[in-house]
Amino acid sequence: MTEHQNQRKTPVQKTFELISALLTDNPIYKSIFRTGYPSTLLKRMAVMRSSFYMHIFPTKVGEHGLRLRYSWCMGGITFFLFLLLTLTGILLMFYYVPEEHRAFNDMKDLRFMVPFGVILRNMHRWAAHGMVLAVMLHMMRVFYTGSYKAPRQFNWVVGVLLLLFTLLLSFTGYLLPWDQLGFWAVTVGTNMASATPLMGYEGPFHELLGVQVDNDIRFAIIGGTRIGPNALVRAYVWHCVGIPLVATLLMIFHFWRIRKDGFSGPL
Amino acid sequence: MVEQEFRSDKSGYMLMNKPGYPRVSSWPNLVWVIFLMMLFITILLWGVSFLAYAPLEEMAEWAKTPNPAKAPWYFIGLQELLVYFDPWIAGVMLPQQILIGLILIPYVDITPTEQGHYRWSQRRFAVAYFTFGIVFWATLIFVGQLLRGPSWEVYWPIIDYDLTGHGWTREGVALKQGGAKLGSLSTGTGLALLIGFFSIGMVLPFLVTKLFPKSRPVQGLDKYLKELGYIKYFVVQSHVLMMIATVVKIVLRLSFNIKYIIETPWFKI
Ligand code: HEM
Repeated sequence: MTEHQNQRKTPVQKTFELISALLTDNPIYKSIFRTGYPSTLLKRMAVMRSSFYMHIFPTKVGEHGLRLRYSWCMGGITFFLFLLLTLTGILLMFYYVPEEHRAFNDMKDLRFMVPFGVILRNMHRWAAHGMVLAVMLHMMRVFYTGSYKAPRQFNWVVGVLLLLFTLLLSFTGYLLPWDQLGFWAVTVGTNMASATPLMGYEGPFHELLGVQVDNDIRFAIIGGTRIGPNALVRAYVWHCVGIPLVATLLMIFHFWRIRKDGFSGPL
Repeated sequence: MVEQEFRSDKSGYMLMNKPGYPRVSSWPNLVWVIFLMMLFITILLWGVSFLAYAPLEEMAEWAKTPNPAKAPWYFIGLQELLVYFDPWIAGVMLPQQILIGLILIPYVDITPTEQGHYRWSQRRFAVAYFTFGIVFWATLIFVGQLLRGPSWEVYWPIIDYDLTGHGWTREGVALKQGGAKLGSLSTGTGLALLIGFFSIGMVLPFLVTKLFPKSRPVQGLDKYLKELGYIKYFVVQSHVLMMIATVVKIVLRLSFNIKYIIETPWFKI
């Protein structure tokens, strides 16, 4: 975009260039960032290609795709919130044990004892709500721009699965504080599973399979006939290991496809 | 050199991949946007986290059922539907159908070229249907989250009880009772109504094109139906009818106190 202009440099510019040359024009910097500072178009292309992290982006993008009023950046925001949630989530795991008598006290400790524990928990909580909201808005953006059409049909399908897993991620986390709010919300939510036709003990035709309260699908999900210590451990494992793993795999696939199909735009 | 590689790009049929299309290097243009987004979100999240505490109520206790006990907001739409449907419909069949419907969207779409912009003149029906679904979902969340109080009665959000919606049931304080008596339709009427609704709904668009072949909008409909073909039409229309039926059931329940359309010993609709 901006090419170097060699005429009339102010002292500030000269100093700045000197400092950046010192910082970037040395063997150590170049051993890390092979291409040197990306000041020319060629280097700018190279930097995107040669860097592991940058390689997730294309080297060039269509101008319309950059406009916020097109993409709202919602997919990016969803992913960034996911990263923040992973980070804060790992830190929370240091202080939290999913045990019936400890979980709630660990929440209190985070609030009153752990340095910055309040901020940590607040960030994790609000980022989770934010991610659910962002993923819904992202889906709306993709729909209204018709970006799910060929050749991106299957990436939309992957997206719907990601939506589902985002909701489940948030839902399993809801139980972990082991307070009345989460306990009863998850009770209400998992009770619905008992109404599944054939497989839930309150669902239509459950008698046909001999399904009862202690062998139906809800029992399998929460590990008991009501939310208890087993459900807590299950929620914890799904929340911290199972679902993030699956969601990560799906996201890798989601991003791969975006790179292969190209970002949507007018035909 | 670099350009050539892009020209041989297989996805070259898109305008944005054609040689003349305005493209800029990702560094710094895209990287910059992403960086600012991350900065903005981080600051926003910090700000919110300093100002608002994550909720923490009393320790979980099986014996103390709060009234009402609410699902998290993103599932409260389904809980709200429990007023109008049995759990196997509200909590299992409807969410399942929503997911299946969403997944099928790209495969029943017949305007493949209408993409990459917010212009909807060629896809009015798709946009209207999707928007209706979103608004419906948002309305259910709004009602469930803000207007429902103890015993899932309608409460005005600013009076009666605290907004968090987790007041305890107090002994000796009578909860509002579920008001009017609810009735159900006889099995025959209900069955006829349901089958009638879905079969008429299925043929109605074709009937309209036969009855008013002259009118312009109907000609548009005719063209749309022909392009869609029977299989896609069936998939789309059955989901449209399911959504309408859900709304109709809500109206029936609210204005005529009808609890079930069909009541059998095994399941109730
Ligand atoms: C965890 C959830 C998700 C993450 C992290 C994610 C991330 C992203 C990102 C970063 C992009 C690039 C463009 C943009 O930022 O808008 C994108 C594009 C896309 N997403 Fe998602 N997404 C998620 C869920 C979904 C959902 C729920 C859907 C649809 C049901 C979806 C469908 C798509 C499609 C079709 C594209 C290509 C759009 C285009 O080329 O314009 N994604 N996603």
